[in-house]
Amino acid sequence: MMLALGLSIVFALTVGILAARSKRAEGVILPLLDIFQSIPILGFFPFVIFAIYQGPLENFVGANLAVIILIFTSMSWNIAFGVYEAVRAIPQDYADLLNVSQASAWQRIKSLYVPAAMSRVAYNTQISWAVGLFFLVSSEIITSGATKIPVNYGIGLAVVTFASAGDYADYALLVASLIVAVVLWRFLFLREFALWSEKYKMMEEPRDTHRDPIMKFYSWVNHRSISKLFLFVHDSGVTRFTSSIARFRRGLRVAVIIFVAGFLLLVAASVASTGHLSVGSLPSLSEITSTEVSALYALAASFVRVWYVGAISVAIGLPLGVLVSLNFRLYDVATPIFEVISSIPAPILLPAIVLIPVLGQSPEFVAGIVIILSMFWYIVFNVMAGVRTLPADMKDLPRVFKAGRGSAWRNVYIPSALTGLVTGTITGVGGAWNALIIAEYFQVDISKPPITQVSIGIGKMITVATAQQNYLVLFCAILSMTVLIVSFNLVVWRRIYHHVTKRYTYNR
Amino acid sequence: MVQVQQLAAGTTIVTVDNVSLDFFKEGEPLPVLADVSLKAGKDELVAVTGPSGCGKSTLLRIIAGLIKASSGNVKILDSEVTGPRDDISMVFQNFVLLPWRTSLDNVAFGLSSRNDLTDSQKKEKAAQALEMAGLTGFEHVYPGELSGGMKQRVGVARALATDPKVLLMDEPFSSLDDLTAERLRQETYTLLINPQTSVQTVILVSHNVEEIIELADSVVVLSARPGRVKGVLKIDLPRPRNKKSQEFFDWVDKVYSLLS
Repeated sequence: MMLALGLSIVFALTVGILAARSKRAEGVILPLLDIFQSIPILGFFPFVIFAIYQGPLENFVGANLAVIILIFTSMSWNIAFGVYEAVRAIPQDYADLLNVSQASAWQRIKSLYVPAAMSRVAYNTQISWAVGLFFLVSSEIITSGATKIPVNYGIGLAVVTFASAGDYADYALLVASLIVAVVLWRFLFLREFALWSEKYKMMEEPRDTHRDPIMKFYSWVNHRSISKLFLFVHDSGVTRFTSSIARFRRGLRVAVIIFVAGFLLLVAASVASTGHLSVGSLPSLSEITSTEVSALYALAASFVRVWYVGAISVAIGLPLGVLVSLNFRLYDVATPIFEVISSIPAPILLPAIVLIPVLGQSPEFVAGIVIILSMFWYIVFNVMAGVRTLPADMKDLPRVFKAGRGSAWRNVYIPSALTGLVTGTITGVGGAWNALIIAEYFQVDISKPPITQVSIGIGKMITVATAQQNYLVLFCAILSMTVLIVSFNLVVWRRIYHHVTKRYTYNR
Repeated sequence: MVQVQQLAAGTTIVTVDNVSLDFFKEGEPLPVLADVSLKAGKDELVAVTGPSGCGKSTLLRIIAGLIKASSGNVKILDSEVTGPRDDISMVFQNFVLLPWRTSLDNVAFGLSSRNDLTDSQKKEKAAQALEMAGLTGFEHVYPGELSGGMKQRVGVARALATDPKVLLMDEPFSSLDDLTAERLRQETYTLLINPQTSVQTVILVSHNVEEIIELADSVVVLSARPGRVKGVLKIDLPRPRNKKSQEFFDWVDKVYSLLS
């Protein structure tokens, strides 16, 4: 995990600085970053396993490598974006200074670019950490399912092993110690890192009311960056993509890249499984069509699942976020608690959820809970960040004019939370698609029946296909899911996001 | 336009009596305001000034009933202020308009508590207030599309629409550029101190001494941390006041010397 985090930071610095300083690199790197962060990474994990594990490294090194690659992938994009933005935002005066003093490229990197990017690296690391932890646990579980040789040690693996052996005392102990570790890590390292990096800030950030660096991060995200995590939206620094023609061309490029990459993966997979490359080993058209049709059914089922759960999360998360942020005392108490709960990856709780009497027997219920846990906190935190940035006078407004509770919520609180709500939902739904892979089908030992499984769903389809090493199904399922998510982002979210940020952002 | 009780000029409308406020920081009381008293009479504009951190804006919020004083009380005529009330209204430094509502809806929001009015009556009243504030034609524009001066006009219209007796203004012109501020100052004064409106007294918090000499009938000068009344000056310059006259400069000097 640490290794992956270190790698991510180094990678992010390199790529971010490169993109910010070279026009040509920017043209290649930015679209790539966009694609990689809008697709559900977990879906692609099986390919990574096969590519590495089935290929040259059929041992625990390969399995471990696959896990590290996945975590690295999940963590590096948003840090890279942070670096890119920070370096782009360096005032021209500083660049001029270095030109005047004829600094070498290395001196520039060391004395300007890296320090300038530091505070953003620190903030983005915090969210990457939570994301990474989720993927760590999930990927260990998947690896151990897909391969006979498990990742040698790992918390995700241990949780699954204990749970499947019915060793609930050890399981509880393990979850508890994970929580302790998360708390320690967050408060001893991440927070210190964030506070330390404050001194590297170049300019005053927009007026900010958060003392807590984590909330500060969320509020910052609220203003600009999450849009980039899941949408193809860029702010002032990168306006050249905003014209509709450029957007269309980018969309096209994305589609082509996905298609080509998918095709190559399919070929690679069939080579890996059969050991030789021949056209004959590729599946027939009718086979592809029927697989694709079933993938679309599963996708539809999962889409409905994600969205009814999304509706529940919004219905609870919006009022909760608003209430907590309106009350100072409640806010101070609740925030650290929320932070800790939110950084416990949902998949490790699954074995406990199954134990809930009656409801635990319903796979829909279990899947719903795991999905809620993966998206709920994004919504709450983003709503909180939105409401917290309101000036005190604004919060007093309903009192000054004696507005009733209904009117206050309708006119002031809900609109002020809307930007955060949309950002949070976009990010949360992204998390939910990833969570599906665990939530819809959870099996520890291939010889035993799965702990939970829904009747139909894209996550189940992917997990089962991974276990059976059925590349065609895997390919159809993942491609359909990616296309759906990317186009949904482009067509629906993008518009909502634009409208909401234009009208519902408070800047006096 | 509104039924106004006929009160003799000079009748005290707002009485602030020995108001103190302590914040508690880690158990230690931190005095913010200490024994502040002031009076604002009918058709008067009373200015409150002082160095930053003297609690002048806090005092305004105590008068508005938004913050509870640790001791002392505030009265409007004979009734004590215990919370936000219908006959007090406020204009803010940073306008505090809802960006997601048109100027008309923003003003109508000010009428939230008027359960006796239907929505269309509220809008009608809001439109009248906007007209008084000189914003005819801008009813359906969002705050983001208005200039700073126009935003503050919406703020004034919102405050006036509720027919308040007491109008509290918290540095209402300080986030505007000089030219806009100057024009708005004059217009606002004529609008407020005017038998046509319900407003009977105005309390203005400001750190701009020239603005105070231009507008106020009297000025209360507070000291820094905790805010304590250093002096109250009655500004008896005849109106309209000439900002270039010697008397005006003398008054500015007088307030400055009390401030420092």
